[in-house]
Amino acid sequence: MKLPQGAKSELTFVGSLFALGLLVFWDTARSEPPAFNLTISPKVFPYAVALFLMGLSAFQIIKILRGDVATPEGLNPGDPIEKSDYKNFVLVLASLFAFLLLIERAGFIVAASVTFFGITVAFDNKKPLRAALFGFIFVVAIYIFFTQFLNVALPAGIFKGFV
Amino acid sequence: MSSFNSLLEGFASALTLSNLGFGLLGTFLGTLVGVLPGIGPALAIALLLPITYTVSPASALIMFAAIYYGAMYGGSTTSILLNTPGESGSVMTALEGNKMARKGRAGAALATAAIGSFIAGTIATAILAFTAPSIADLAIKVGAADYVALMLLAFTTVSSLLGSSAIRGFIALAVGLVLGLVGADLQSGLARLTFGNMSAIEGIETVPVIVAIFALGEALYIASRFKKEGWNILPMKGKALMTRDDWKRSWKPWIRGTAIGFPLGVIPAGGSEVPTFLSYAVEKNLTKHPEEFGDGAIEGVAGPEAANNANAAGALVPLLALGLPTSATAAVILVAFQTYQIQPGPTLFLTDGALVWTLIASLFIGNALLLILNLPLVRLWVQLLKVPRPYLFAGIVTFALLGSYALNTSTFDVQVAIAIGVVGFLFRRYGMPITPLILGLILGPNLELQFRRALQISAGDYGTLVASPLSKVIYLVLFLVLVGPLVWNFKKKLALKK
Repeated sequence: MKLPQGAKSELTFVGSLFALGLLVFWDTARSEPPAFNLTISPKVFPYAVALFLMGLSAFQIIKILRGDVATPEGLNPGDPIEKSDYKNFVLVLASLFAFLLLIERAGFIVAASVTFFGITVAFDNKKPLRAALFGFIFVVAIYIFFTQFLNVALPAGIFKGFV
Repeated sequence: MSSFNSLLEGFASALTLSNLGFGLLGTFLGTLVGVLPGIGPALAIALLLPITYTVSPASALIMFAAIYYGAMYGGSTTSILLNTPGESGSVMTALEGNKMARKGRAGAALATAAIGSFIAGTIATAILAFTAPSIADLAIKVGAADYVALMLLAFTTVSSLLGSSAIRGFIALAVGLVLGLVGADLQSGLARLTFGNMSAIEGIETVPVIVAIFALGEALYIASRFKKEGWNILPMKGKALMTRDDWKRSWKPWIRGTAIGFPLGVIPAGGSEVPTFLSYAVEKNLTKHPEEFGDGAIEGVAGPEAANNANAAGALVPLLALGLPTSATAAVILVAFQTYQIQPGPTLFLTDGALVWTLIASLFIGNALLLILNLPLVRLWVQLLKVPRPYLFAGIVTFALLGSYALNTSTFDVQVAIAIGVVGFLFRRYGMPITPLILGLILGPNLELQFRRALQISAGDYGTLVASPLSKVIYLVLFLVLVGPLVWNFKKKLALKK
């Protein structure tokens, strides 16, 4: 059977949602509710949600196999679907993970500056030095505004005592 | 005490010098973020939530109301000058407003949008002030089973009306319900979907989910697909002013837009898409200048903009009186309330009456500040549209991560945000709407609570869910919402065959 463009990847996505439903079902089945008597078991609602998700995903899988393929946001039905540029996707994702790894080790200023720079690279900025400098100044300004004026706690990290 | 007196007290509390300062700051920041391309009011408000974390509840609410209106106004500026509506409610504004801007009438389009939004916002907030308490009084009598029915109706309308197909909307809702399950069950303490992670026991915070699904999801999506596409900013000549003829052609659409937008905000009709489309259709039918429609008709901006703002205020009625958000923006507002330890619902006017009236008064003040501040400053906002895309997205992502982390100073929330950002990317790629996911996450735990409460009261008799007259009516409406489109499509197919 020849599938329309984009169908295979959508099948993988909706299939993973079906698997998510299975995971919820399995987690609910293996959990032990407390011994005290409850009129309604705490398992009822999760079971219903799991079955709801599995049922809908299965129905959508059938619809995709019959040719109902999703139109990505920003396109009109019938427009050719270009392949995603995963190099940029990975660059953005890596920038997000850099924030996660650095925030409590090196502090907010370093973490957010690295993320800022990474995102500008992913969006094809042609002047990296200017982006790095602007990002740093922007992040320091946000840091001062939030910590000094709004009393929001953000880790200073290696800049402790400087800012 | 009457609503009028309570409202006056709300004004007294809101109109202090420091609170007005917060209001001005909120208006400025709300417009500043709302005007940035691709950012709708829901994301603008979510991004600015951390600013209100440490301010006193009354000041925070005033600032928040100003941010709310500022973000709405900022969105219309972007739609008119850039043709990039940040949300579905601005699509119609973009359609006619951008055409007006192309003809050198950007100033008139921006003015009719701003004044129309002000008039609609003021009328709708006044109706809200005098109807929400009465609805809340009635809502106290609404039982747990009726709440279950109401929430199911909200889920159904929002899921089936948004996105490319109802089934995709319901899948998005189901994913939101799964996210809402994570953590310890409040009644039994049973840990669900935590897989031994102690940080997950308290459940998934809604703020990181909202900022991530909008901001991080959008950054991942645009970077991987549309990063090379630029924006074509239209120049704005002269001031944001209207001629006598513009006024004559705008005032009736403003009133009609308000009349359409408000009631459709009160009932869960899937956000601002339906009322703005409806208002546009009405204006197109009633206009004396049909040749201008599709080519820059001022009525096509005035009506939908008023409908959009009245709809946003209308959505506050079920939110304040019942605790039911019916759009993405209303869902973000609910989260904002919860960060100030306020739980919207029937008892809100009794438990936090002073604060709610301060909020309602703040909505009036925020709306007025917006008009006073923004029409003269429109050139400043136009400059913001020139921010290069790499810097724009880098700034948005930085704020989103800051908001996620600062809520509990926890890296677990950042992990959740990154994971949800990827989900947001996948949802955009596969045409799934985002609002049902947010509603599922926020209302899912509440639905389960009311469901179990109803069954506990009836000692496990499931018949109680459909026993009351109100729940019967709601299920009938729900049935019509589900079956109506199917019958309509079937009839259309039959007609085509013939």
